[in-house]
Amino acid sequence: MTAPIPRRGPRGPAPRWARLGAQYLIVVLAAAVVNFALPRLAPGDPVDYLAPPESGPVDPAWRQAVLERFDLDGSWPRQFASYLGNLIRGDLGISVIDGRPVAEVVAGRLGWSLLLVGTAVAASTLAGVALGFAAGWRRGSRRDVGILTGVLAVDALPAFFVGLMLLMVFSVRLGWFPVYGAVAPDDLTGWAWMADVGQRLALPAITLTLVGVASVFVVARSAMISELGEDYVFMARAKGLSDRSVRGHARRNAMIPVSTAALLGFSTLVGAATVVETVFSYPGLGSLAFAAVRARDYPVLQAVFLLLSLVAVLANLAADLLYPLFDPRVRRPGAR
Amino acid sequence: MSKSRLLVAAGAATAFLASALAPPATAQSDDEVVVRVGLHAAEKNLNPFIVPQALPITHDFTMLVYDTLFWSQSRLDPEPWLAVGAEPSDDYRTWTVTLRDGVRWHDGEPFAADDVAFTFQYFADDGGPGRYGHHVYDHPVFESATVIDDSTVELTFAEPVATFTLLPGGDLPILPRHVWEGIENPRADAVSLPVGTGPFRMTDYNPGVSYRLEANDDYFLGPPLVDTLIMPVVADAQAAFAGLRTGELDFVTRNLPAPLVGQIEEAEDLAVVRGSRMQSLYLMFNTRKPVLRDPAVRRALSAAIDVQAIVDTVEGGLGRPGNDTWTHPDSPWAHPVGGHRFDPAAAAAMLDEAGYAVGGDGIRRTPDGAPLAFTLLVNAAAPPQIRSGELVAEQLSAVGVDITVEPLDGPAITAARRPGPDGPPAVEMFIAVFESHAHADPEHLFFFFHTPGRGVGGVFSGYANPAFDAVLDQALGEPVETKLPLIRQAQEIFAEEAPAVVLYYPDGRWGYRPEAYDGWISDPGHGVFTKRSFLAPYANGAAAVAAESEPEPADETAETEAPAAAEPEAAESEPTPAADETPAAPPDDTDPGSAGAEPVAPASDGDGLSGGATAAITVAVLAVIGALGYGLARRRSRVGTVED
Repeated sequence: MTAPIPRRGPRGPAPRWARLGAQYLIVVLAAAVVNFALPRLAPGDPVDYLAPPESGPVDPAWRQAVLERFDLDGSWPRQFASYLGNLIRGDLGISVIDGRPVAEVVAGRLGWSLLLVGTAVAASTLAGVALGFAAGWRRGSRRDVGILTGVLAVDALPAFFVGLMLLMVFSVRLGWFPVYGAVAPDDLTGWAWMADVGQRLALPAITLTLVGVASVFVVARSAMISELGEDYVFMARAKGLSDRSVRGHARRNAMIPVSTAALLGFSTLVGAATVVETVFSYPGLGSLAFAAVRARDYPVLQAVFLLLSLVAVLANLAADLLYPLFDPRVRRPGAR
Repeated sequence: MSKSRLLVAAGAATAFLASALAPPATAQSDDEVVVRVGLHAAEKNLNPFIVPQALPITHDFTMLVYDTLFWSQSRLDPEPWLAVGAEPSDDYRTWTVTLRDGVRWHDGEPFAADDVAFTFQYFADDGGPGRYGHHVYDHPVFESATVIDDSTVELTFAEPVATFTLLPGGDLPILPRHVWEGIENPRADAVSLPVGTGPFRMTDYNPGVSYRLEANDDYFLGPPLVDTLIMPVVADAQAAFAGLRTGELDFVTRNLPAPLVGQIEEAEDLAVVRGSRMQSLYLMFNTRKPVLRDPAVRRALSAAIDVQAIVDTVEGGLGRPGNDTWTHPDSPWAHPVGGHRFDPAAAAAMLDEAGYAVGGDGIRRTPDGAPLAFTLLVNAAAPPQIRSGELVAEQLSAVGVDITVEPLDGPAITAARRPGPDGPPAVEMFIAVFESHAHADPEHLFFFFHTPGRGVGGVFSGYANPAFDAVLDQALGEPVETKLPLIRQAQEIFAEEAPAVVLYYPDGRWGYRPEAYDGWISDPGHGVFTKRSFLAPYANGAAAVAAESEPEPADETAETEAPAAAEPEAAESEPTPAADETPAAPPDDTDPGSAGAEPVAPASDGDGLSGGATAAITVAVLAVIGALGYGLARRRSRVGTVED
């Protein structure tokens, strides 16, 4: 799908992949700058965490030593240059909270985040598409209004509230699901471990799904509505095609905007996961970021933010690359 | 995209649900006592050089793994612990400490006098800030240690320290030389599991997620009554108390929020244990700021604050109002009278006299015409601080002082409290919480309020008063009998000068599951989550038996040596703010981690979470939202139609 686009001349536009690549590189760089600056703009620094005022006066030399240890000494430009250099070498620095390499800290959390957010993205996309198409099929019908109302109502609830409600009902009242963690602190193995992981994933994943479903739903519904207004649908109906095959045609075309919405929803859910992970004590990147903010753990924050930016960028890239799958018009050379 | 894909999706969803609904797999043998403790926050690997005090129980948690020479500093007659005795020289500068024989470190190495000598020297050499180290380089300044033999060590200090057995003897964790001597930078490089002599060994630490502690069966006071402590970090207060109710947790280290006390007490399989952690919630003035520098102003502000109303409102009466003499009433160093002077009329008169006349808008003016207004910083993650701050603002506005309560996150407050390179800290006043260490320590007033230059006062309060310093300097290192009257004198100066106002001393109260473990006792100054609760000679007697034989369900006789001032009966009958309705009850005030919402308006319902209230409220909320959404949707679809 990255078939070279014929050049229009010796000084014509660069190939699409090169332009795309350059665009994404710039975005990632900009994200790195923001991720570097944001934690530092907040009042307080890691020294305050390591030596709160209650614990006594901080000797300037000691302070300097701590900052040097975490590569946080000197001016911002120096720190940034050093940060970028280390980043290129794959060195993310040392966590202020843990004293361990950031890469190790983040790696320990990444899997859980992917599991949680991945499940939620898949579930919210499936549910959003199914509900959106069902609602959009007969706009204004009782079913449409009912689904729309329900989805918007759920969307209006803040994530932590949804999480706590689910927790109170399904854990405390019904006792179906555990209330904390990604895996039981006991030594489980094999199927028992898998079952436990699934059980502990359920509530946070459902919460995140509920958070994410509306954005997909709204796009799916309106895409379906607008497809149904197209000439080819009019034609298909005039031809006497069944509802089922009309729906089939409309669906495929409606998937184009939906795929973008679903992939962009990915980054939204990664953000919402911070709250959800904290409510359910889920050991993902979100709860790590939450703890890191409280400790002003710059190296961890930089790494987590960078990772989240990369996720957003990759989701965009995936949307770019998937487009031609759904829309043959994009496949044609020179279409863009 | 059609039937086949939908089928796959449906299949996946079913598989997911099936796995989710599978019965919980529990694996533990019957005769083992396993207690699951929900922690507020993670506390690294209990490295005693980095104690960021994320947890109010950090010291007691640390002391499950480490031991001190004496236990503990919150009583005047500490029990010899790793030591069997300590004899001072005539000038109280040298202490000859005799140690217990046959103690081993968790890794099997023998514990010896060498380790004690090393620990004191190591903390002194480090010299950096920290919860423990300043006790050997700030006061008493450590000089040298001489190992006499394997069980005797002579510790020499640069100044007399008559209360050595309390501090540092009752507070400093003794470290194994063979583990630490190679560590150059203890803050950064000590990242492995801790090795101590304490009743529990830490066998697993999943950073930020959970801890696992196993009984040290060779413990010199006998094997602990609990075999395994599984301690997940449950950062959300609601989730933690939900875990207690579902049986996933057997103890929660958070103070039970007042509205939940009744519920937990009524639950059949849960109980509440009370104890004193000697906590205080206080308001600190920055005495280096122009107006607040004047003791008359601070005295007036203090007199305008109704501490009784604050503890009644914020804690539902489960606490004691603050004393102007700072020190917690349960501390051995408490002022015998204490009390708080609440007299708004006198406060107004004092402010008039100090030159702050009331302006046209009811706000007082400084002599140069600026309004008498202050910003009060509170921790945004601690609802009791926010509510206390709001009450203070209301009470002070009655005497014409304008207070803006500004909730900030922890590090932002810390930054505001840190002195700048060329001036005092930016903060004007703030509310924070102190643990027993700031009340039980024989030198607590010295450490926190002595003029900058000695003690940590320079950073912490900035309060400077030569008369106050003179008394404290005189008291420093004195034997208890001569020290007590001096401390009392200093407390009276403190009350007169009001560099800080204690708003209240919260009661300690914790929810637990007696079936899992019922040995909790209150060790004053430590609460109940502390080593004595796990040791046969001290633990709740009935419980110790229950823990050894089959546990008896629902035994609610957990009342232990709680301080007399706490009145659980009165508290129960009182209408408590109904945090039950919103499931967001206030988390523990000392916890910086959870952002619980404030309880809503008082309601008569006392059943709360366990009853139908949750369901009813949920339905009501959903109905309202649903109705709004329905209207919106209807409107949208109509608009859409018109457009077409």
